[in-house]
Formats: sequence, structure tokens, C-alpha cells
Amino acid sequence: MTPSELSDGALVEAYAPLVVDRDTADFYRGWLAHELRASHCTACGHDFLPPRPVCPKCWSTAVDSVAVSGRGTIFLLILLHQGPPAPGVDYGAGPYPVATVELAERRGLRFTSTVVDADPATLAVGQAVELAWIERNGVAFPAFRVIEPGAVAE
Amino acid sequence: MSPLASHHSGRNPVKDQVAVVGVGSTGFSRSSDRTALANACDAAIAAIRDAGLTAADIDGIVMPGEPGGPGPNVVASALGLPRVTHFSRPAPVAMFAFTDAVNAVFSGACENVVVVYPYMRLPWASRQAANDPFRRHLVTGMAAAPESIANAAGYAAWASRYLAEYDVSRDAFARIAVNMRTNAMRNPLAAITTPLTFDDYYAARMIREPLCMLDMDLPVDGADAFVLTTADRAKALPHRPVLVHATTVGLVTPNDEDQLPGLDHHGQHVVIDALRAKSDFWIDGLDVFCPYDGFTVITAGWIENVGWCGPGEAGRFLAEHWDDASNRVLVNGRVQVNPHGGSLSEGATRGSGHIREAVVQLRGEAGDRQTPGAKTALAVTGGFFFNSQGATFRVD
Repeated sequence: MTPSELSDGALVEAYAPLVVDRDTADFYRGWLAHELRASHCTACGHDFLPPRPVCPKCWSTAVDSVAVSGRGTIFLLILLHQGPPAPGVDYGAGPYPVATVELAERRGLRFTSTVVDADPATLAVGQAVELAWIERNGVAFPAFRVIEPGAVAE
Repeated sequence: MSPLASHHSGRNPVKDQVAVVGVGSTGFSRSSDRTALANACDAAIAAIRDAGLTAADIDGIVMPGEPGGPGPNVVASALGLPRVTHFSRPAPVAMFAFTDAVNAVFSGACENVVVVYPYMRLPWASRQAANDPFRRHLVTGMAAAPESIANAAGYAAWASRYLAEYDVSRDAFARIAVNMRTNAMRNPLAAITTPLTFDDYYAARMIREPLCMLDMDLPVDGADAFVLTTADRAKALPHRPVLVHATTVGLVTPNDEDQLPGLDHHGQHVVIDALRAKSDFWIDGLDVFCPYDGFTVITAGWIENVGWCGPGEAGRFLAEHWDDASNRVLVNGRVQVNPHGGSLSEGATRGSGHIREAVVQLRGEAGDRQTPGAKTALAVTGGFFFNSQGATFRVD
């Protein structure tokens, strides 16, 4: 099924409990296409997250979206020893990493998800990562993967 | 760039014009069988009586929008307040409601206002609460996804940044946790008064690593309440009026937990800039310091940002000012940090405990934790994102 074929209702259901509304639907349709998108102001060129309907720099409402590379460095990092239930998340098997990644496109432009294929004990702020798509509830879900395990970029 | 974008002008016409004249608290418990409404009424009645007033004198009521808590209209009705001209329900975290009450008195929206802060353990917050059938109606909607640092998780995330960016150990967090517990042992209202050691801290279970169980505030049942009126009217009331010298809240953009500019640029910095500009005193010679401790990393931020030390230096600062004999921090051998034990050990009051301690200390009524001759207090509440706040208080 292509991103445009999925109904709005099915999109909302697929990504619950994340909030999909008219301001964020395009962002989540990007996930279906394996694209991590940022809001993009067509008036001044500012890219920002989370997706919002107005450019915070110039107040233009001519905001669409642009795919970002998904490369970046771990800026914030939590290891969840307990947390909200989710399919494929087993806190009993070990702490579940949640990383806020500063994306390569712009300083301060960040996206938060888990880090796959990693021993949590080896993760650290500063590591270089790239996008890694996983599946949850039958739909694509963006995550990260460490590019060079153990390498700390800062 | 407009002047508002750089520094606060210091304009503060409300300075010393509104006074806290009544204080009430139920004390805090992790196993109470009382409702938020019962605790709210108890604390409010205690505060109004403490002020030497009656229901008929109270024409304003402000309460935070606490999850599961009653609204101000419900408490006004429960207390039989006959005629109210100002009521509101600001966001949780204490200074939103407190500042609204101060401004309501100053503007003439009401004459005598009661601010009531009830707290109730929600079913997800403790096993005892989860097993209480009378709390079942408090279960709320869908859980969040794990891959998010929204709300509480945001502090664990920024704690990781704090440790990495400043290349420091968890020592600051440990000292903050131990200090609060030691102080709580002198506070009859506190929920936990058993001693805490550094070994206990380092042995505590990780929850959202790098933060452990003892980095997080303590869910409790209980309530605080304050009565405020004009500084003029306060002179005729029974207690020494505690003057509200300045209040503010602070917000930067972006303030989303994962987009926040950095440890050097968030809500606390806006609060400090505005509060310093509005206040005639700061930390030199300060008597009472009550920094919020919903998470230990927040307290480290406040200690640094109010100017006790530089960024990332809270651990070193706390070690230098640690009083081994009493197992807590005494800044310059004198200033206690949260003499009441804070949210970590008195209980998670979201800042009303910090305001109460400032008031009680300035009234000279803090018992064996009293700072002798206390004249000035600084309470800075809330965290980094969208609830940073602060107030200065003084007495004549």
C-alpha cells in the first residue's frame, strides 16, 4: 500500500498513540514512504520539527515538508528500564534506548526515536547514527542505528 | 529586535504590594486514604484561619489544573465561599497559580485570595494507588509511546546531556538527593524521613537511565494553601506579612523537550534574567533558597543558573559547601537548600512546598530548621521546558 492510498482514518489508527492530525499527517505519511520529513518554510527556507503549520522564523503559512537524511549524532540519550508498553519493546530483556538525534541538516534540528541493533551499554551522547526503519503495528516506524559503534563524535 | 527579546527592564509595580498572610498544609503521605478534595479543603481552611479570616472574606480562589484534582469552583462550593470575583485554574507547577493570585489582588480582581494546591497519587504513580478502587476513575487515556522524551522523560534525557557536555559524574545528583532527605528529617510535614546515604543513592534502581529512583520526586497525597491580600491590609492580620517581592515565569523557543536550544538557553535563564531585574536583592546575603527538585538535574540547573557557580559546576559547588557533620549542603556554612526536604523527600508538591518553606522561614516559624533572622527568600520552581518560574520574598 502506498502512503497516499492509506485513508486518513487508517493513518490515525496505525500510528496511535502518536497524535496524527491535519498538521502532522504529512509527517507520518512520510514514514510510510520511509522518509523522515521536517517542516519546510517555502518563504524563508527554515526547516523545523515537530511539524507545525506556521514558520516560527517568518510566520509564513506556506509550509510544506522536506525529507531529511536522518544522519546525525546522539544529542540526548535515555535507557528506559521501565516505560510505556509497545509492540516489540521488552524492558525485561534489557534497557530500551531512546535517543534524541541532532540531524546533520541543521544545528538544533532534532528527532527522537530508539536505536536498533545496539548493546545499550555501548551507546553514548555524541555517537554518529543513521536512519533505520523498523515495523510497528504493521507500518514503518523510524529509528536510528549507530554508524560506527563506540565512536564518539564530540 | 524588540527590548523584550533581550533583557527584562525590571519594571515591577507589584513589588512588595501583595503579602502572604495565611499558610495551611495537610502534610504529605504515600499511603493516605483521603481525596484531593478533602485535602484541598483542609489546607484551605487552615490557611484562611491562619490569616485570621473567614469564608466571607475570601473573594478569590486559584487552583492549579492538577490531574485528578478538583477545580476552584468545586472547592469554593465545598468551602461555602459566598461571593467570589476571581477564580482560575492555571497550569500545574506552583508559580503559575501563585502569580495569578498575586496579580489578581494587585489589580483589584479580588481582595483576599486563597491559592489551593491539592496533590493526589494517580494509579500509575504507586502500587498502593493502583490498588485503591476509589482511584480507578483517575485512569486516563492512552499511554505515550516509549520513543519520546516528552514530559518527565525529558529530564532524564537532558541529564544525559548534562553529564556528557560537562564531563561530570552523578555526584551533583547524589548530593542533591541526600541533602533533601537530611533536611526532610527536620520537617514534620514530610512523607519520608528515613536517612539516606550516598551508597543508598548509587544502589538505587535505574528508571530512566541516567536517572534512578532517587532522582525523581515522590508521588504523595496532600495539599498546601496560601492566603494573599494587599500589603496594607496585611498589617492588621495576625502574622508577620511575607511580601511578594517579584514573581515571573520563563519560556524560550523552541521549548519542546527534544528541540530545546541547550543547557545554556532554556526557561530557567529567562526566569533568572527577569527575577534579578525585578528584585532589589539576589543571592549575596540571601537567607532562604528553595530550588525545585522534581528531578535532581533541575536543581543542579537552578543552583548554577541563579549564579552560585558556573555551568556544570553544581557537583563541585555542593561538595565544597557540604557540611559533613549534618550530611547536607550549607552554602557558605549558613544557607540551607530546601530546608523542608523538597519534592524529593517532603513530597512532590510541584513547587508549593518550596513557596511554603520560603514563607514559613520568613515568618520565623520553621522550628528546628529555622534560619535565624531570615529576611529574604528565593524560590525557583519548575524545570527547563515550559514551567520554569521563580519568586523572591522578603519581610520588613
